[in-house]
Amino acid sequence: MSQAVHEFTVEALDWKPYVKPVDVETATPDQLDALKITPSNKKISDYVLVLANEPETLKERTPLFNDIMYSEGGLSRGGREIGALAASFVNRCIYCASVHAARYIQLEKRPEVVDEIYGSGLNANLPEFEQALFNFGVDLTAHPDNVGAYQFYHLREIGLDDLQILDLIHAVAIFGWANRLMHTLGEPHRLD
Amino acid sequence: MTSPSTNDVIDTVLGLDRFPDLLALREQRAKLRHLSQTSYQAALRPADPRNFSYALRAALAARMAALWKSQELSAHLRALLEREEEGPALASLTDPGKGTEAVDPRLQAILAHVDLVTLSPKEATRAHIEKLLAAGLDDRDIVTLAGLIAFVNYQVLVVAGLKMLRDN
Repeated sequence: MSQAVHEFTVEALDWKPYVKPVDVETATPDQLDALKITPSNKKISDYVLVLANEPETLKERTPLFNDIMYSEGGLSRGGREIGALAASFVNRCIYCASVHAARYIQLEKRPEVVDEIYGSGLNANLPEFEQALFNFGVDLTAHPDNVGAYQFYHLREIGLDDLQILDLIHAVAIFGWANRLMHTLGEPHRLD
Repeated sequence: MTSPSTNDVIDTVLGLDRFPDLLALREQRAKLRHLSQTSYQAALRPADPRNFSYALRAALAARMAALWKSQELSAHLRALLEREEEGPALASLTDPGKGTEAVDPRLQAILAHVDLVTLSPKEATRAHIEKLLAAGLDDRDIVTLAGLIAFVNYQVLVVAGLKMLRDN
């Protein structure tokens, strides 16, 4: 039995559910239909198979997630990953953080940004642009009832236009969603 | 018939028909705006509500919005609840300040999970899922509940962010 992981790490992790994943062999037509539109990997992850217990929701969620993180134009892909990381740090979704830290490094080739977030957590001291994105992600996740002029002007100060701000809002919000599934329905384990 | 903009819950709760710039901005991300609305439908009014009635879904969602003081969204969800036959019986659940002693153990466990995962998801552990199982929820019920909580929290954040754009 591999070991559960309860501290943030950049290493690639496995995820083990607390509830039963759908068995592809006995899945209903609706479940198979919802599973079909996930990114076609060789193997469907246990996470997606758990979500397939609710096919109607999964069917909308998969393309929504992809559009928020990968749509053309607007905020850079790396910028969206900073939003995802900020949310995952506030919500302590260790698995989500490790995936999106790796993706940020792959996209931006700047491991030092991720190192600082992992070293200092919510107090990370980052270059101005990344700092503003990260702070917004932390504030929106931790205090959605208290986001206003202060946060808005910080985003304007680093030069974000309305569409880029909208993209950042969605990137943070979709991790408010993802973290609440991944962190509550299972836990990360070291790869065997 | 209502105009297209009032069919979108987020536009409706923020009164965006009076903010054409913001409507145009959302239109630039028309696909995700549409999928946010279909996700709302799937979470609150799915074809097969199974063990979570439309009324219960609306009541729990209104409670989550109230936990985050998302007044406009909470009011919308309470109105959704009022249109259900069970509405009056579940109305007190929408107020997180009211005690839950009066409700049955299954619903008590659901409310405790809603409050925890909305405000402090980082505190959630396997033990919280075990409590739901002990209260009689099955695996699919747990995924349904988690999905509802996760979706409504997404919607709260999108509404909060758009409100910031609207007012600045």
